[in-house]
Amino acid sequence: MNYNPTHALLIFFGLVLISYLLFRPKSGWFWVIKNNLKSNEKIVIEDVLKQLYHIENSGKEMNLHDLNNSLKFNDRTIVDVVKKMTIIELITFDGDNLKLTDSGRDYALRIVRVHRLWEKYLAEKTGFDKVEWHIRAEDMEHKLSHEETDLLATRLGNPQYDPHGDPIPTKLGKVADLEGEFLSSLKVGSVGRIVHIEDEPDVIYKQILAEKIHIGSQIRVIENNKERVVFYAEGQEFVLAPIVAANITITLLEKEESLEENMARLSSLKDNEEASIIGISKESRGDSRRRLLDLGFVRGAKISIDLESPFGNPIAYLIKGTSIALRHDQASKILIKKGIENGK
Amino acid sequence: MNKDEIENLITLSSDLRWKIGDDFHDSLAEGIYADASEISSASVSKDNKKKKFRLDAKIDRIVTSKTWGFPIMFLVLALILWITIIGANYPSAMLADVLLDVVHPFLKGLAASIGMPWWLDGFLIDGIYLAVAWVIAVMLPPMAIFFPLFTLLEDFGYLPRVAFNMDYLFKKSGAHGKQALTMSMGFGCNAAGVVATRIIDSPRERLIAIITNNFSLCNGRWPTQILIATIFIGAVVPSSLSTVASMSAVIGIAILGIFFMFLTSWALTKTVLKGEVSTFNLELPPYRPPRVLKTIYTSLIDRTLIVLWRAIVFAAPAGAVIWLISNIYIGNESIAAWTIDSLDSFGFLLGLNGVILLAYIVAIPANEIVIPTILMLTVLVTGVTGGEGAGIMFELDSVNATGDLLRSGGWTLLTAVNLMLFSLLHNPCSTTIYTIYKETNSLKWTTVATVLPVIMGFVVTFLVAQIWRLF
Repeated sequence: MNYNPTHALLIFFGLVLISYLLFRPKSGWFWVIKNNLKSNEKIVIEDVLKQLYHIENSGKEMNLHDLNNSLKFNDRTIVDVVKKMTIIELITFDGDNLKLTDSGRDYALRIVRVHRLWEKYLAEKTGFDKVEWHIRAEDMEHKLSHEETDLLATRLGNPQYDPHGDPIPTKLGKVADLEGEFLSSLKVGSVGRIVHIEDEPDVIYKQILAEKIHIGSQIRVIENNKERVVFYAEGQEFVLAPIVAANITITLLEKEESLEENMARLSSLKDNEEASIIGISKESRGDSRRRLLDLGFVRGAKISIDLESPFGNPIAYLIKGTSIALRHDQASKILIKKGIENGK
Repeated sequence: MNKDEIENLITLSSDLRWKIGDDFHDSLAEGIYADASEISSASVSKDNKKKKFRLDAKIDRIVTSKTWGFPIMFLVLALILWITIIGANYPSAMLADVLLDVVHPFLKGLAASIGMPWWLDGFLIDGIYLAVAWVIAVMLPPMAIFFPLFTLLEDFGYLPRVAFNMDYLFKKSGAHGKQALTMSMGFGCNAAGVVATRIIDSPRERLIAIITNNFSLCNGRWPTQILIATIFIGAVVPSSLSTVASMSAVIGIAILGIFFMFLTSWALTKTVLKGEVSTFNLELPPYRPPRVLKTIYTSLIDRTLIVLWRAIVFAAPAGAVIWLISNIYIGNESIAAWTIDSLDSFGFLLGLNGVILLAYIVAIPANEIVIPTILMLTVLVTGVTGGEGAGIMFELDSVNATGDLLRSGGWTLLTAVNLMLFSLLHNPCSTTIYTIYKETNSLKWTTVATVLPVIMGFVVTFLVAQIWRLF
């Protein structure tokens, strides 16, 4: 074989290109083939059940045509599967519309349970980014057995809600109610707490994440019209399009609770200001949250800025006589009350 | 208690747990802190605590300031490295004199006088003893200087401030500011750098720091870099500039290493490591006067000697292997010659040669013996005069003579550049690999940390070689 550097380079880049096409994230051929091999009947059945469950829960109805449009499998597969599902009595036809039977509903609840538990697991015990939770749970919900699911639930302390605020069905199929109204339908001046942030569709969820809106935040609606929804939370104003706001659910505050007007995020604290901590946002989860608690970021602790690093991030805070550096995104998840008047 | 009661108890507990809600961790921590502060305010009196804090704050304002923070940091690191490299030369030369030029001939004489067969004498003294002696002579002095200095800074409280300053840069690649420290430690020794990652308490960032530590040029590799740069890079510029040119080449390689460290950290967080838990917090402890003697003692015992011992344990068999492959013949060629022959074409593709590749294979236990092995193997395959004999590593006293020998082995400027690159980008030494396994307790991550840099080394040297030959 005669050697020539140009040929060697061409062969090398050829190989790089091939391995890129095969293994690039998500749409690499290798993954596509792997996924296609995996999409067996069980997955289609479970996806149909889940889809119907969500539709029925929102009070709507669905016929075969809608189902075909809402799932990414080809029509023929879906028709075959639906036929089979009516035979084993998971679903029935009510005129044109599809309905879940009791056993179908139980099955669907089990899938939803795994999905939400797995999202909770990802949020608490792993470092995966929020954007990935849903897609990973979509995959995992078809894999876990009964026993594994219960074990997972026990290890997570039988949580009631998933990280987005959706209730997790219990082992016996009980589901807590998600009470609240969509942010887009609230009157100006209403106060409440964010209890749920919908993670689908992806595009809108990413917008909500980009705004750094945190679940559990107390809010007050300032403006609500066809163009935009403006609300105040944790010392900042947030502006959303109504379509985005519709994906956020708010529970109105009870009478005995009052909106903490001075609440702000620790990230907004300035040099020479002193504040006391109100708590840690629900957005801070798992190990990160526990570490903050261990370090003394608890309600009532006084805090001020000790040092700013040359880039302005991280910032070292003086808390309980110790200097602790936190990054900006962590500090934004710690809630404070500026100005300590009555020492409380 | 019978089974039913236990069942009931479990149901009750999970019921209660359900009712208690998600906030109980918060309330618990709050309660503990409330109690603690009550106890402390009742029993601890503070008087001049405020005053002390003032001085700390003043130092902090300077070492973390926008203007002075970074210059101070680079100055301190450069100073430590300079003291280490320059200061280690003398004891290294002394140790080499004693161990290689006095003890080695003495042992050979002794072996001859008791009539030891040549193969046993070669295997034990030329193979095992020589490799161990080499590793001690090259490795011990720099570590004995570097680690105490570094530990003093740590003890004083300066290092957390470095992590604080650097965090923003490291965060961009998904790493922890403290990785700046483990990386600097890696300039002394990668194995010690890997151990030092224990200061990073976030699992993901710690793995990143462990896997990328090898991109810090360790003190086993500095001498190789300096020697090769002096011979080949210094030679292409006018002699008045040769020192500057070769030194900048070495520093360039070190900086390239830092670049690869950031790149790899970033790539790892985006791919294989993205599921690992990641947290951040960094305590800035008050400064305190360093306890010099205690520091020197512990850094010598805990860091230097442990690492040195591991290196010796791995170097001994390497010495044996080096001697054996040069002295066992298959047909009319030694194993070494056969291997070099078969590696030559692959080596050529990378702009290196078979000798270098074989040297890097047998010298996995310690980077310190790469150059002696290369010289010995070059003499073995080219048949030029010089050297000490088959399987006996040696170094030449004069840089020029070393250069002549390497050129007679077919080395060009490209070989030199690619050797410097490959010395930066190849698998960690076996001491480090073993330490990585000890620290991660995972075969998977050990493999990643071992294989990843070699692949990068192959790719980089390959590309450099092809592009070089195009022009």
